[in-house]
Amino acid sequence: MYNLFTFDFSRHFASFYPEQEPIMKKSMVTLLAGLGIAALLAGGCTKDVKKDEPIVPVAAKAVEPAKPVEEVKPVQAKPAEQPKPVQEVVKADDSQTAKPAAAEMKFETIYFDFDKSDLRQDARDVLSKNAEIILKSMAGAKIKVEGHCDERGSAEYNLALGERRATSAVKYLTTLGVKAENLSIISYGKEKPAVIGNDESAWAKNRRAEFVAVK
Amino acid sequence: MKILFLLALLLVVPSVVLSAQSGYIEVNAPANHQMKLAIDSAHSLDGPANSESAKLVSDVIAFDMNMSGVVTAENRSQQTVNMGLSLVDADFVPWLNAGFDLLVRSEYSLKGEQLAVEFRLFDVVNRKLITAKRYLGAAKDLRRFSHLFADEILRALTGEKGVFNTRIAYVSTQTGNKEIYVMDWDGHNPLPLTRNGSINLNPDFSPDGREIIFTSYKRGNPDLFRRSLSNTAEVALSTRKGLNITGSWSPDGNRIALALSKDGDAEIYIMNRDGSHPARLTINPSLELYPAWSPDGKQIAFVSDRLGKPQIFLMNADGGNVRRLTTSGNYNVNPRWSPKGDKIAYSRMTSGGFNIFTIAMDGSSDTQLTTDGNNENPSWSADGRFICFSSKRSSGDGVYVMRADGTAQTKVSSGKGRFFQPAWSAQ
Repeated sequence: MYNLFTFDFSRHFASFYPEQEPIMKKSMVTLLAGLGIAALLAGGCTKDVKKDEPIVPVAAKAVEPAKPVEEVKPVQAKPAEQPKPVQEVVKADDSQTAKPAAAEMKFETIYFDFDKSDLRQDARDVLSKNAEIILKSMAGAKIKVEGHCDERGSAEYNLALGERRATSAVKYLTTLGVKAENLSIISYGKEKPAVIGNDESAWAKNRRAEFVAVK
Repeated sequence: MKILFLLALLLVVPSVVLSAQSGYIEVNAPANHQMKLAIDSAHSLDGPANSESAKLVSDVIAFDMNMSGVVTAENRSQQTVNMGLSLVDADFVPWLNAGFDLLVRSEYSLKGEQLAVEFRLFDVVNRKLITAKRYLGAAKDLRRFSHLFADEILRALTGEKGVFNTRIAYVSTQTGNKEIYVMDWDGHNPLPLTRNGSINLNPDFSPDGREIIFTSYKRGNPDLFRRSLSNTAEVALSTRKGLNITGSWSPDGNRIALALSKDGDAEIYIMNRDGSHPARLTINPSLELYPAWSPDGKQIAFVSDRLGKPQIFLMNADGGNVRRLTTSGNYNVNPRWSPKGDKIAYSRMTSGGFNIFTIAMDGSSDTQLTTDGNNENPSWSADGRFICFSSKRSSGDGVYVMRADGTAQTKVSSGKGRFFQPAWSAQ
């Protein structure tokens, strides 16, 4: 059995994404180890840990899923950009609190209605923003879209439904000009919930598609 | 006088006829009288009785025979002068007086690691030996031999081959993530089959019970793998783009049906057992998955949401003659064909969660088998007598077994974590 103190977390999580080489500094491993322990204690669910991201902003994002106006959205601020006034104020605050790594692109998650894979207006708005990030600063990058479902429904049908959600997002991104060959999809069905819970507030946060830059 | 007494006995005894020709008992009208089987405590041939071994034998045979529903089995220890296996008429009297129709006597010898055990099944009423078996092996084989004799009892009573020595594969999160395990059908001897730290799903046995296929994310994509039970190597069978899920081995062992989404969205394909040459069976924009073979390998049941919500459909194994099976409920999934060919078990989701149902092949006799908790992924035993399934209920979460009519729902899995997607081996 695994001993939490000798368990090699970096290698464990690396097995989920074998095509990526996580840049794991010792402090990152400790951070991840702490998160991993917390996740295991929270009910033995595998937590979807993003490799290059610091931990805090992702959790904060999950709280307000459907609001079209972004509050916390660390975006790499380019000097040449002329952002809208409201967002500029928000961004100024963010740049002080956001982690500095310039190469990290933060994509927002989109959410779906129960048993549906069609895109709500808020989802389309988020996809537009994600597309902008890709087109303006990640032209050649490969992006993987992950489809997820809430805990209801059968595990197997949810694998197919999650894939449908990821496909919806990809199709819309291509209409916005993102190159199809730079996009890939994977479905996790209900295997990787973002939020553990048995009520609609948890379920709503798990019916989602996430966007990950892959190497 | 003695003859009159015996005749009177025979009149009192309900319809249990020892058929000398076929060699087994015909059980008429089982609902009226259930035969009672006494399991006498196993007798040790070398020295003091090992109560642990005796208890093991009794517990295994009692569990198997009670679950079968063919007899009611009871562990009973009789203080008799004659401890051996050759019984004279007088030896049956106390059992008859206690109301038993059948009796199992056994004796074993354990010398170091070498085990020799003999079981005998007696007809108490007619004071006859029905069947006897002798097994030689290692000490650890006592459980397996007891299951084998329970199979023999069942064969003697019904003529049917039993499943008491078969196993159930399942998914468990006891290490934190979903790995695949296998256990005896009664829950003993759980063993890990995968230990790759990834997400592992939906095991299915080969017809000879020696291999499993399963879906794993260990390479970063839901791919289909094969693993022999006697070898740790996990061989990739289908690593196509997208989903490679809900693999189901054909009854003749030559082909595997599964859902692939490589051509757009999840559809049913059949490929060779080595993963080559997938042939597409379903073609439409809806989702098709979870294929289940008929026992003769000529038809496939599957899940499709072509009508909006998932329902169960049937088709020929070449993809033709697609027709709808389930017409009640609006979320029906996880079909599994009974080895007797007459019914399909499946799960239906309602507002209260999932329950196991069976339905006849013409869509009639839609019958709910479970009512307590959340019950999914039914899988039949090879004789069609039992169904195993995963359950989340107040009396305990885990893998359960029950008779095909829904009675005797019993938790067999043990250990921490959650349990999913059991699959019953045919051998």
